[in-house]
Amino acid sequence: MWAQIINALLGIWLMASPAVFGFADDKTISNNAHIVGPVVASFAIIACWEATRVIRYYNLLPGAWLLLAPWVLGYDSTIAIVNNMVIGVAVIGLSLVKGKISGSYGGGWSAIWKKDSLHATEARRKLGS
Amino acid sequence: MSNTNDAIPPGWSYNPATWGERLPIVALALLGLAIATYLGLFQLKIIPTVWEPFFGNDSRKILTSGVSQILPVPDALLGALGYAADATAGIIGGTRRWRTMPWIVILFGVMVGPLGMISVLLVVVQPVLYDAWCTLCLASAVISVVMIGPAMDEMLASLQYLKRVKDANGSLWKAFWGYKEVQGNVI
Repeated sequence: MWAQIINALLGIWLMASPAVFGFADDKTISNNAHIVGPVVASFAIIACWEATRVIRYYNLLPGAWLLLAPWVLGYDSTIAIVNNMVIGVAVIGLSLVKGKISGSYGGGWSAIWKKDSLHATEARRKLGS
Repeated sequence: MSNTNDAIPPGWSYNPATWGERLPIVALALLGLAIATYLGLFQLKIIPTVWEPFFGNDSRKILTSGVSQILPVPDALLGALGYAADATAGIIGGTRRWRTMPWIVILFGVMVGPLGMISVLLVVVQPVLYDAWCTLCLASAVISVVMIGPAMDEMLASLQYLKRVKDANGSLWKAFWGYKEVQGNVI
């Protein structure tokens, strides 16, 4: 969970960074931060809960985009480039952290279409006993 | 058949439909409803000013912007409607509703998701199109995103239940609407 909380904070930091660093007038840099930041923060917040922890993988895409954006969009500020790259690497790394799962969830989301997952076998066991 | 009435879904460590699980989400929805109603009343010009502690005139700028008036009804009032629907869907049904009323659980999950996504979209629109932030709009967006995770576990339990009904060749339609005859055969 802590990994997802840090990712949420990174997303919020990305949203705030154009104002903090004074890039707010550079529309390319600030628009990208204002779009990607809320997306990263939202996925990370949803992934805080164990039942929806898999949503953390959704942040791999915006994370990877942050590594490419300075070159694709042609940032002309070193601080903005470093800021994007560091956040990108951190978001990717932290979205790979599964964290502690203490509850059990009947086999999770894949159990909706897979046969013989935890909830199905457990239901059969209960019916048999 | 001794455990058929068990409220904890099979293979789960807890019951996602207890009041302890659901009431916090309902409370968040009511808080969102209060904020959105307030913003909507400002947009309808019933309240003359809007509370904005950080961003000066920005809230006014956003709440009277073109995007916020794109529909015949101000966008905050639609948000208020969404929160009211979420709170209602969160409160209906007992603590075994993941199997007795899958329709309301799934409706609940399906409504919470888009409300959150639209809020995030509006958060993006504010600085990109209007170069402005609105504190209460941001607060509302955070609330609607925080609601998504805790609403989803219950939906997962309902969907797994429907999967068991399908595997037992039961009627998904009847299970979805909570017919008693299906509930007797599948746990």
